[in-house]
Amino acid sequence: MAAIAAVVSIGRPSRSTRVARLMLVGGAISVLIGLLVLPLLTIFAQALSQGVAFYVDAIGQPDTLAAVRLTLTVAAIAVPLNLIFGLAAAWSMTHFQFRGKALLSALIDLPFSVSPVVAGMMLILIYGKDGWLGAWLEAHGVQVIFALPGLVLATVFVTLPFVARELIPLMQAQGSEQEEAALTLGANGWQIFFRVTLPRVRWALLYGVLLCNARAMGEFGAVYVVSGHLRGITNTLPLQVDQLYQENFTAAFAAASLLASLTVLTLGIKRFLEWRQSGASDRH
Amino acid sequence: MGIQISRLYRRFGTFVALDDVSLTIGDGEFVAVLGPSGSGKTSLLRILAGLDQPDAGSVQRDGHDLLALDARRRGVGLVFQHYALFPHMTVAQNVAFGLRVRPWRLRPKAAVIKASVETLLRKVELDALADRYPAQLSGGQRQRVALARALAIEPRLLLLDEPFGALDAQVRVNLRGWLREFHRSLGITTLFVTHDQDEALEMADRVVVMNRGRIEQIGTPQQIYRQPATPFVSRFIARGQALSGQVQDRHLHLLGQAWSLDGFDTEDAHEMTVHVQPEDIQLAPRYGDGVKAQVIGLRHVAGTVRAHLRVEHRDEPLEAEWNERDWTRHGGAAGDVVDVHFQALTVFGTDREGHVRQRVTIHPPHAGVSVAVGPWRRVEV
Repeated sequence: MAAIAAVVSIGRPSRSTRVARLMLVGGAISVLIGLLVLPLLTIFAQALSQGVAFYVDAIGQPDTLAAVRLTLTVAAIAVPLNLIFGLAAAWSMTHFQFRGKALLSALIDLPFSVSPVVAGMMLILIYGKDGWLGAWLEAHGVQVIFALPGLVLATVFVTLPFVARELIPLMQAQGSEQEEAALTLGANGWQIFFRVTLPRVRWALLYGVLLCNARAMGEFGAVYVVSGHLRGITNTLPLQVDQLYQENFTAAFAAASLLASLTVLTLGIKRFLEWRQSGASDRH
Repeated sequence: MGIQISRLYRRFGTFVALDDVSLTIGDGEFVAVLGPSGSGKTSLLRILAGLDQPDAGSVQRDGHDLLALDARRRGVGLVFQHYALFPHMTVAQNVAFGLRVRPWRLRPKAAVIKASVETLLRKVELDALADRYPAQLSGGQRQRVALARALAIEPRLLLLDEPFGALDAQVRVNLRGWLREFHRSLGITTLFVTHDQDEALEMADRVVVMNRGRIEQIGTPQQIYRQPATPFVSRFIARGQALSGQVQDRHLHLLGQAWSLDGFDTEDAHEMTVHVQPEDIQLAPRYGDGVKAQVIGLRHVAGTVRAHLRVEHRDEPLEAEWNERDWTRHGGAAGDVVDVHFQALTVFGTDREGHVRQRVTIHPPHAGVSVAVGPWRRVEV
């Protein structure tokens, strides 16, 4: 009861609500420190435990650099694909009535509920050497599994919901009146999209893309299954960290610190966007 | 020439939004479509704007098929109920939108666009706010931005969806007169949709009353108010209240009075409906003369008194509207039993399908002396 009172009380708090507030805030902060901040700091501490020179050297290993390059390549392909898919899905979900809309909505969420490992297995079942399309692909000289296309497919699958799920609630809330207004004013489809729809969802879209990107670069499970772990060829950064971990503890943490930095950077940009957004809505 | 709408049908699943709607709008006319929510008025508007297509029927403008043109090329200006302004654009950018999105061959030069935006904003008295964003404007100001934006494409038909629906009462009344004048100065054929009787009757040249997808009546505000064509129009516009009585010997027997039904064929009517308007229930000048009614509630509204009266054979109270001076002179209070006169009744005769076949306004028995003031003798039958 005290907790509820603390949440709803506005104005001068009574003694008991002050105690409840201290406990709640204190609890939340200690959980955050214990589960998030300390581990994150440990990564950097461990990475630098053998000196800066070792750290630079560990990161400068060709295999690690190749992993970084591969991770960025996969993200650079998967994120734009999901950007387009997310926009198209959100637009069709919010602007049209059609049969199977509920099914589409459930399908968009599927990657959230399927274990990434299972997602990777599914890809192997379809595109692998003995998979449904495996023979056909091999005959045409296309390698999907244990190559870049497989990594991209796995990443796209896992990150599929991020953009669409950011956009759908927003576009639903906004309705389509402004698009209709633009139509009666003589705008064509592209003009409506770029001048009316996109500006209204741009922050949510950016936010979705950032989350999608963070997940794309950090994805482990699905990618693990389809990659084949060829060091310097099909190892993405998370896989490289995993392999290094079994050989060279500190080098693994150096690579891990790179991933963690990407996460922190993403968080920072997200925070900045939210700040910009609230500033923008104050101004307008 | 103007706009000819003929036999429009539109249904959404089992809901019939438009049922055989035909209407002709003259050039430069200011027409109100009046009806409760769900009556189909917004469906009609959306079809005219090109945002929806009818299942059947046609719309012609000056003899050309309007439905064949898609919304972009229709030249129909639409002002949405909630304005649908573009929040990320300034007032001036909003107004310029319709000109800026034109194909480059038809697009005016930037300087021309700027000049016409300025002219429009001056017309709607918003030239000082050109660089504001919609969120920084009041409701009435946003309304006028939406109007200017719709007018920028020089539409030949202007459609307004509940133009004052989202505004405060005070702003609403001010804007009514303003919009009426504005229409007069522009002369654009205008159709506006509203559920507010006062708004429609005060502003429009002609009023179209809709109910359940059908047009109940088309007429001038006076015709609609004084000669409602159907019980619905009477109830919805003229606040007609149903009374029950018996028909015998070509007379209507009602609350102890017999009303002559001259000019009404009782044989032809499957069902009869009798309505009385609040202003036709007046205090009898002399005590003991008229219909007994108990005043169960009184409300004073701007110089008039709205009284709720309980009369025999009617469960719901009747509403009467009196001049405040008359009521003060009468010197009554809530709870009193007063004598009232019905000065006019409207009788509708409907056939089996519910279509109105006959309609008469009947006056009180022995009203020949003086209709307006009475007193009338009660006729016992």
